[in-house]
Amino acid sequence: MPRLTAVILAAALGLAGCGHLGVKAHQRELLADRIMKLDGDAQEKAADEHVLSNREGAIGGTGTAGGGCGCN
Amino acid sequence: MGETGPGTTVESEIAVALSVAVGLFLALSSGSRAHAVELDAAQRVTLFREASSSRSGICADKGNCDLTVIHPQTDISATFGSGVSMAGGYAVDIVSGATPKVFGVDAVSTATRFSDTRHEVRGSLTYARPTAEVTAGYSYGWESDYKSNGLTVTTRSDILDHQVTLGFGYTHNFDTVCDQDNTASAGRPLDRVALSSSQNCFKSGAGAQGTVTHALNIDSLEPSVTWAATPRLLLQGGATVQILDGFQSNPYRQVELGSAARTPQETVPNLRQRFAVFGRSAYAFPRTRTALHAMTRLYRDTWAVEAVTGELLVNQYLAKFLLFSVRGRVHAQRGASFYRDARGYRLLGPNGQYWTGDRELSPMENLLVGGKFAYIRIPEPGAPHFFNEIEAAAKWEGLFYRLDSALAPNADRKLAMIWQLAISLRF
Repeated sequence: MPRLTAVILAAALGLAGCGHLGVKAHQRELLADRIMKLDGDAQEKAADEHVLSNREGAIGGTGTAGGGCGCN
Repeated sequence: MGETGPGTTVESEIAVALSVAVGLFLALSSGSRAHAVELDAAQRVTLFREASSSRSGICADKGNCDLTVIHPQTDISATFGSGVSMAGGYAVDIVSGATPKVFGVDAVSTATRFSDTRHEVRGSLTYARPTAEVTAGYSYGWESDYKSNGLTVTTRSDILDHQVTLGFGYTHNFDTVCDQDNTASAGRPLDRVALSSSQNCFKSGAGAQGTVTHALNIDSLEPSVTWAATPRLLLQGGATVQILDGFQSNPYRQVELGSAARTPQETVPNLRQRFAVFGRSAYAFPRTRTALHAMTRLYRDTWAVEAVTGELLVNQYLAKFLLFSVRGRVHAQRGASFYRDARGYRLLGPNGQYWTGDRELSPMENLLVGGKFAYIRIPEPGAPHFFNEIEAAAKWEGLFYRLDSALAPNADRKLAMIWQLAISLRF
């Protein structure tokens, strides 16, 4: 139980810390550039996944569609 | 898994889907005339070619046993000022090549030529607010021996003053697979006969003679969290959970078992649970206008396939309008618990009650390397223009396989080349 409490506390502190450690809106110019997009081009991503998912035993790791950098 | 009768016709299903899509589009268009509408159109074609090194049987002529896939994609989307957007797309797989009818020690001599075409239409509707969006989508795919229906919901929400983005995706597929009617050999998998042709698949009444259809249900969950860690660094972590329940064998494939030359149809478990966790990052180098992306993924499933994958991608502006990317990716996996190479199946027989000749389920490594050039044109603000953005791209990648045995599935195919051309316009 103490271990679980410690994990929950650490996670809560970590999330709370994100607000201070993160990036302000005016600092997101670099993150918003097309070359920084983690998901890349949606159509290209679909084509790449299509090729590899038919040739490997593994799936996943490409992220959730719509995941971004909070650059809106 | 259940066996079902033939489904409705492809034409009527597509007609319903298109009618719904057109109706929604017209309703939204008329309701948002006061707002600006942004249109995106993208066309891409991928050519995949996996060369065979075999020079015997029907593979004697060079190129005769190469696997070729041509994959054109068309996508269109409209974003309305009200935060609503619609997207639709169509993709085709035109596949031709040769495949061994029997996975055995002399697989190449049993190779036969084949060709097939797979179509897919899809549509989605997105509602976006400044800190959140939700997308619902549907896709329908069909080919001569397989039909697929997929429903997808994805959500994204920004929290902590846009520092963190939570993403969640769920997809349910209810698919139908055509198979040889093996009712007579129920409970005796060694007597199962492989499907020889898709000619009678999905036909009704007497037309379906000798074939049945099986259900395959697939549920996929994909949560992710993205953190804008510093003005130069993006971090992302996430997971994929997928549960497949139903017929998952290749209905055409036979596997040679034992020395008595028995060649029953491939048989794999009906249930497969797959799990993956991944971490990704992107780091900007503003002085050189470069971004470095890295990804690592760990995977395992209930068939005992375990895999690790790593990827590096560098995006580099060569000029304001010209982007160059180079990508390297390595993947290594252990085989499924019931996998053996062709010699193992002949000398030892099956490893339990299942057997397969699928390369995806064998121990293997692969390496992918390649590059891409993209030309990007965005008109200067205030200048007269027909489009808001245009991008044209050309990509080449090589995929190198390393199998653990000369008698593994598709051991004659060690290299695949992937070419891609794309153009997208934003109005």
